[in-house]
Amino acid sequence: MITSMDSLKEDLKKQIIEQLNLEDLTVADIADDALLFNDQGLGLDSIDALELIVLLEKYHGIQLTNPEEGKEAFKSVNTMAEYIRKRKEA
Amino acid sequence: MKVITAYCNLRADECLVNGELVARRDAGSEDSWFKQIYRKQGLTYPKFYKMDVLSQAGYLASELIKRANPGITGAYADDEIAMVFANASSSAETDRRFTQSYKDGGSPSPSLFVYTLPNIVLGEIAILNKWFGENMFAVLPNFAPGFYLNYGQILFGSGSRALLGGWLEVTANTTDVFLFTVEDKGGNVEFNRENLLRLSQAAAQVTS
Repeated sequence: MITSMDSLKEDLKKQIIEQLNLEDLTVADIADDALLFNDQGLGLDSIDALELIVLLEKYHGIQLTNPEEGKEAFKSVNTMAEYIRKRKEA
Repeated sequence: MKVITAYCNLRADECLVNGELVARRDAGSEDSWFKQIYRKQGLTYPKFYKMDVLSQAGYLASELIKRANPGITGAYADDEIAMVFANASSSAETDRRFTQSYKDGGSPSPSLFVYTLPNIVLGEIAILNKWFGENMFAVLPNFAPGFYLNYGQILFGSGSRALLGGWLEVTANTTDVFLFTVEDKGGNVEFNRENLLRLSQAAAQVTS
């Protein structure tokens, strides 16, 4: 059964590919728990962190102003989805 | 004597290392040609997906050269391997995509902007391999062996002991990549104009 969280994670992967111009990647290439800023994961860097902040605002209407929150939220697709869920519930 | 110790030709539909075919493009695949090579060769470097096409080409060709010439990675200090690259179109392909990102997204894309210089490919290879020797990227009308010979002579005369040279012309319609290593050791492929021209046009060797 596809849950709304599963659907959110799928959307997030598509948005990451789109926003970060990772056109050689597919949704299937990104694991839910892959570390986004680790060389074993997606190998993102500080420029990409800016893109993720833009992504949150552009697609989800969430403004991330506290850098410490971003550190935790941008660990993986799982943590991003959880962060979005909590912010929307708040 | 300075000799060419390994070389890689990357074209629109085939990839050769030392004249041997290592990958042929699968026209039916949904993957880009460079992604096909990356996967078929079992390479693992997630940053590959973030690079622009010029950097992807340089990364792939340099990794394949390292496989063909594994000794080069440990034989020199990190500032003894120099890199000299050139092409005709600079980073025009990424520049165009960056400009387009204004129109499509309403704001420019930082992840594209960081690749709007051709010498970024040198940085990508240097960081990955910790090769911190001299490097430069020239924009020239055509592949010019004399450029590599003249500049190589200056580099070898000022402390460099190995050279990764290359022509990386990658646009929407062109894939013309030729990378080579030059070292001071035994061998019969002298680092000269004739050999550079010949190897840049290498055809796949037929093996039976």
